[in-house]
Amino acid sequence: MNYSSMMLEVAVVVLGLGLLLADLWTPIEKKRNLGYGAAIALALVLIWSFQWKPVEDSLQSMYVLDGLALFFKRLFLVSAIVVLIMSVEFAARMEAGISEFYALILFALAGMMFSASANDFSLLFVSVELITVTFYVLTSFQRNRLASLEAGVKYLIFGALSSAFMVYGIALVFGTAGKMNFAGIAAMAPQLAGNKIFLLGILLILVGLGFKIAAFPVQMWAPDVYQGSPTPATAFLAVGSKAAGFVLLLRVLFTAVPEVAAHWTTLLIVISIITVLYGNLCALPQRNLKRLLGYSSIANAGYLLMGVAALNDSGKSAILYYLGGYVFTLLAAFTVICVVMREVEGEDISALAGLNQRSPLLAAALSMSMVSLAGLPPLAGFFGKFLLLKAVTEQGPVNSAYYWLAAVLVIGAVISLYYYLGVVRAIYWSKNPPKATSICVSWPVQIALYGCIIGMLYLGLFPNRVVESANRAVAALERPGPMTAVAHASGESR
Amino acid sequence: MVELLAWLVLFLPLLSVAAITIFTRGNAARSGAISITAVVFSFICGLVLFYALPESSMGMPIQIPWLSIHDQGLGLDLHVDIGLRLDHLSLPMILIVTGVGSLIHIYSWGYMKGDPGFARYFACLSLFTFSMLGIVLADNFLMMFIFWELVGVSSYLLIGFWYERPSAADACKKAFLTNRVGDFGFLVGILLTWATLGSLNFRDLETRLNVHSVEFSAVATAVGLLIFCGAMGKSAQFPLHVWLPDAMEGPTPVSALIHAATMVAAGVYMLCRVFFLLNVDGSQALQVIAWIGGITALMAALIAVQQNDIKRILAYSTLSQLGYMVMAVGCSGPVPAMYHLTTHAFFKALLFLGAGSVIYGLHHEQNIWAMGGVRRKMPITFWTFTFGTLALCGVPPLSGFYSKDSILAQAIKDHHYGLFVLGVVVALLTTFYMFRLFYVVFKGRPRTEAAEHAHESPSVMLWPLFILAIFSIAGGLLGIESLYARHFEAAVAGTEPGFWDRLLEPFNEQLLAASFGVLAVVFGWLWARSLYRNKAVDPLPEKLGWWSQLLRNKFYIDEFYENVLIPCTQDALARVADFIDRWIIGTFAVRGTANVTDVAGRLLRMLQTGSLQMYAFLLVAGVAGVLYWVLGK
Repeated sequence: MNYSSMMLEVAVVVLGLGLLLADLWTPIEKKRNLGYGAAIALALVLIWSFQWKPVEDSLQSMYVLDGLALFFKRLFLVSAIVVLIMSVEFAARMEAGISEFYALILFALAGMMFSASANDFSLLFVSVELITVTFYVLTSFQRNRLASLEAGVKYLIFGALSSAFMVYGIALVFGTAGKMNFAGIAAMAPQLAGNKIFLLGILLILVGLGFKIAAFPVQMWAPDVYQGSPTPATAFLAVGSKAAGFVLLLRVLFTAVPEVAAHWTTLLIVISIITVLYGNLCALPQRNLKRLLGYSSIANAGYLLMGVAALNDSGKSAILYYLGGYVFTLLAAFTVICVVMREVEGEDISALAGLNQRSPLLAAALSMSMVSLAGLPPLAGFFGKFLLLKAVTEQGPVNSAYYWLAAVLVIGAVISLYYYLGVVRAIYWSKNPPKATSICVSWPVQIALYGCIIGMLYLGLFPNRVVESANRAVAALERPGPMTAVAHASGESR
Repeated sequence: MVELLAWLVLFLPLLSVAAITIFTRGNAARSGAISITAVVFSFICGLVLFYALPESSMGMPIQIPWLSIHDQGLGLDLHVDIGLRLDHLSLPMILIVTGVGSLIHIYSWGYMKGDPGFARYFACLSLFTFSMLGIVLADNFLMMFIFWELVGVSSYLLIGFWYERPSAADACKKAFLTNRVGDFGFLVGILLTWATLGSLNFRDLETRLNVHSVEFSAVATAVGLLIFCGAMGKSAQFPLHVWLPDAMEGPTPVSALIHAATMVAAGVYMLCRVFFLLNVDGSQALQVIAWIGGITALMAALIAVQQNDIKRILAYSTLSQLGYMVMAVGCSGPVPAMYHLTTHAFFKALLFLGAGSVIYGLHHEQNIWAMGGVRRKMPITFWTFTFGTLALCGVPPLSGFYSKDSILAQAIKDHHYGLFVLGVVVALLTTFYMFRLFYVVFKGRPRTEAAEHAHESPSVMLWPLFILAIFSIAGGLLGIESLYARHFEAAVAGTEPGFWDRLLEPFNEQLLAASFGVLAVVFGWLWARSLYRNKAVDPLPEKLGWWSQLLRNKFYIDEFYENVLIPCTQDALARVADFIDRWIIGTFAVRGTANVTDVAGRLLRMLQTGSLQMYAFLLVAGVAGVLYWVLGK
């Protein structure tokens, strides 16, 4: 394995360790500013990542650095930067150890970046655990808040349960295939496609990944954990952890077992339909904003699964585009929540009343992110849903169940209008807005919000460049058969 | 150079609208000056084009590509230009619009003096001129339709100019809505034409019609009638005529320009412009058009006999004359129609401006029975008005005689003998109601204080009267007819007819029509003279009894619309739509779905109890279910 290709992750890990060291020499009142330093350093890493070119010849290694990996690594870096800025805002509400909070975010980030490159079940498991274990701590970081502790415990137990499923699945797969490498398994897949033990193993692995993305039937934890966790942790969980789950899902389904995936069309369609409807219906009566976003994240996992279920290239690139828009949208929403809910405990939607008078920027950012989530033009969310719909209907002539999938997507979007626009209504048209004390928004948060708004608008108005780069990234998943066979043969001889 | 002039003709009035609304809104005098200058320069450009444009460049395309949709998959090919068409039809029409328009702009300077909305008035007038020129110059249906609607808007603005009067506000609404009814048919007709022939450009349509005549003949009647719907609205033909008399609520110069000389003629102009679409084998449209025109002419003339408001009499007279023009088109005679349109523009503008002068002199008195003896107080108005009346009645050798005669002759030529008789009766009625007006207003003794103290109008209002009077007198001898004939018929070899030939042409061509026309005038005059000379009250109601009541109330058509037609159609539809919206869509579809969704959400949420054991159980159960489903088979 070529370690030089891992320099991005190494940089992030070193940054995290450096942060812990720097904490020792930083006076207590300056500690929260370390977050800004970490954000700037990550921004440099992000810029550096654009110097990297995809490496195509590393199929046999457990770590690949193709276009897909780079796309997701940049996505994770962007979200970590905003989450760090958010954490600085949140610092006052932590009892102690804000530097550890920053460092944990960086370690989780490293896990996500590894997961983007995982080409082997062992690296998959390690990176997933790196993410999950850090999140156990992040979700329960507000040790003085019972809700936060409860969220941490729930996440821990669910995480452990699904990790158990996953590791069992990996064991079964290794037992039947004798390999951990995705390319290697793909080469053997024709023999294994009928092997029920092998299929059981793959299914159990998918359950583990389903936990990360909060898809049915392992979605129950999401609302409770989203609600209880510290807001920056929720944001990172909703954005980074979910995206990591999807990149792994794409790699497992389309690199390791494409033949099996093709047989599971109905399963994928049913799962995504249930997930979409569950998320959207449960969100309807919600009054707690973070819990609402928890259900919304389940619904969005369902939409993204539709792109997987489409089993075509346009579906995969739609997932990438959708996640790109989703990152900016959700980060804007959580940043606003983080700032506005400073003085409110319950995060109830009614606390948003009169926000447009207290801070027009926060009101605009939250409204835009809600409108984007609802999938209205001209924001990113609209075009993402459009691409998914296009990908799904393209498959319609093959299997008419896809038309049902498309119908559910539309119905889900219509249902979601109600609760997303309910938030917008609370911001602008509340009956009795409380006394308007203007909210002071620090300039790093302003930069982050403007960045998110520009991102939403740019993706919505000029989708071409991102769609093209998503198409190029997805092309990396395609492994031509003969080449795989050759690679496999050379692996054997080694 | 030609192109520049053509664009200038069209856009000068628009520039004046922009200048007035943006810069000089607050300055009445400057706004009026800008508007008058614009229309006069537009007229001059038109004159240069009219005289300097060589025969070879008639109808040359002056186009800016505007909209182009080309879709191979749908077989859709739509190409629309903003194009101007200069030919023997549009050029004289430009001169009428800008020429008569200039005179009326100048007249308005005097008539509207001191009105608080002076600048707004001139801005609207310029907007109207721009829109009307757009209709005249348009070389395709879409552009014509756009300007058609713009004309509707400017007419709306000007009828409702004194918007603080409820009657004016109602009238402008009525005019707009009635026109919309017709315009809907027009739009459908345009779409149908496009669907069958695949083009909107008049020239392309003409060439394509020759190729696809069989396909088109199937829809020819429908297309013709739908397009005629547009003309029915704008040119106020029965049954959409009801808005025009009410439109007299606008200032009198507006009535003269828009609701007598130009805009209401747009329908006739449009029919002549697309005459090739109406005049195809197998189309029954022309028959219908001819009879609608005839009915409108007769009905309006009858109503005019028993009206007492000076402007309303003229308004019904306009309706009646428009009916003549439409009838002429229906009798396959676009040339007589355009000819009558031109002369009518002169003498009807003259009559309205004269009426405006009388109204102005009598401090806004409009009832003819409150006038009398105006002749001595306002001699110039009297003389010009007299010539206008004679021209309208069709006294030879005034312009109206020639144009009306050509229509009657056309009816005979096209073997519409019923319409010929109808036309002669209308001519008789026209003479009767015009001389009724003449005797009651100008002759006799002043009947009120206002008539006693009438005063002649200022010269800025009298000069336009002079000029229009000259054209009303001599309009028949200018060779206008042969000008239009060059557009519709192949060039006739031969020399230009001399002055005497022109003077006596009607008698040489179609003696029957000419002599009946003259007889109608003579009898109409004698009848009116015997009834109304030196009378202080109308003797007719006693003689006619309930007929008079019927005529005075315009055959109760307005009442029929208001109490029967609208409640039965629009109100009933509105009630059905309201029921559907309120109960089916509102309660069942919207609230029903919303409630079902909401309940589903609440039920599902019960699963989400917060209890960890429950969650873990559901997780494992779900996973087990999936495993069984995939592997159990």
